[in-house]
Amino acid sequence: MDDKNFDDIVINVHDYDMVLKIKDESDIAVSRQMAKSFAQKNNFSLADITKIATTVSELSRNIYRYAKEGQIYIKKKEKELDKDVSIEIVAYDRGPGIENVERALAGGYTTSERSLGLGLSGVKRLMDRFYIVSEVGKGTIVVLEKRRRGF
Amino acid sequence: MKDVIISKLGELVDELAKDDGQKKAWEDFLVDFAGVCEKAGIKEELKTSVSNLLQHISEKEMSDGIGLLHTKIDNFPAVDAYKALIEVLGQKNDENLVRIAELRDVLSELATPIIRLWQDVLLVPVIGTLDSQRAQNMAEKLLESISNIRSKVVIVDVTGVNMIDTIVGEFLIEMFSAVKLLGSDVVLTGIKPDIAHTLVKLGIDFDMVVIKRDLESALKYAISLSTKDTEKKLVNPKRGDTDEE
Repeated sequence: MDDKNFDDIVINVHDYDMVLKIKDESDIAVSRQMAKSFAQKNNFSLADITKIATTVSELSRNIYRYAKEGQIYIKKKEKELDKDVSIEIVAYDRGPGIENVERALAGGYTTSERSLGLGLSGVKRLMDRFYIVSEVGKGTIVVLEKRRRGF
Repeated sequence: MKDVIISKLGELVDELAKDDGQKKAWEDFLVDFAGVCEKAGIKEELKTSVSNLLQHISEKEMSDGIGLLHTKIDNFPAVDAYKALIEVLGQKNDENLVRIAELRDVLSELATPIIRLWQDVLLVPVIGTLDSQRAQNMAEKLLESISNIRSKVVIVDVTGVNMIDTIVGEFLIEMFSAVKLLGSDVVLTGIKPDIAHTLVKLGIDFDMVVIKRDLESALKYAISLSTKDTEKKLVNPKRGDTDEE
């Protein structure tokens, strides 16, 4: 994991198949549904579809709760046509940022009153690749990837 | 401009309409337009005709049509027409938002039934997506019914939930704790295999409640719990559960 700063990361909207704006609570359900049908369309297994939908739900919930607004980007990656397929999910916000990323990832840590503090650490376990950059006062970017399993 | 439109009416309608069904609509629109095109405040006048036309054609066709008219007719007020179109669409959008809010209210009323299945046994079938508003409503309603009916066991069936993330998990755990504080037991059932896997990865467990594999065994268990208590009382009324009633 190379240490980049928040400002170094540039997200090009055109690289992604889907851009979901998070602003209202109802956007969480919508983004989850869109992510789910995207995974379905790309023939992921039911268990992985649920994991992807849950992940997007967690991330958009975090955006809504802490940053108030932000975006979720989703794209399909493949080496050759229909080979080594994976889905990349990026959650981007310009919110308050996370003060202690390691502590947030350890689980059971939260700054919100009504929360188990399992979100980020859980998401990390649900996905195959997890990368996070967060700077206090600037925002948070989480990059995740889930590979499609062969049948 | 009025004369130009009237003289070319048939020709314009043929070009504008994608099929015969749209011809009448475009014709009406152009006649309306010819009537108002020389008045001041044309945008306001146009809004009515635009919204009439939108009943029959799509937004894209409308916008293409304005473009076409702009090339066909000199001095066609395309800017005013587009403005009218955008304002009408804005109104439509506002109406839709109101409608969505209303539907959401309807849904929250529909989706949280609390059923008295047996003496002292309540069933809560949780269906669909739980947002904080719905979750709150459901918990309140459930706790209210428990204390009214004095039920001993609550079966929570999550067959209708296709995803449990940490928020929904949290909410369920909170609700279970509150139910237990009222002195009722909770039986959880209906967790699907893919959800089970995700829950384990997320680190959520429901170890504070009894979990049964389907509604049938949950019901058997719940009934056995509630009747066991009654039998005990019948056999030995002086000892044990007398404090409960």
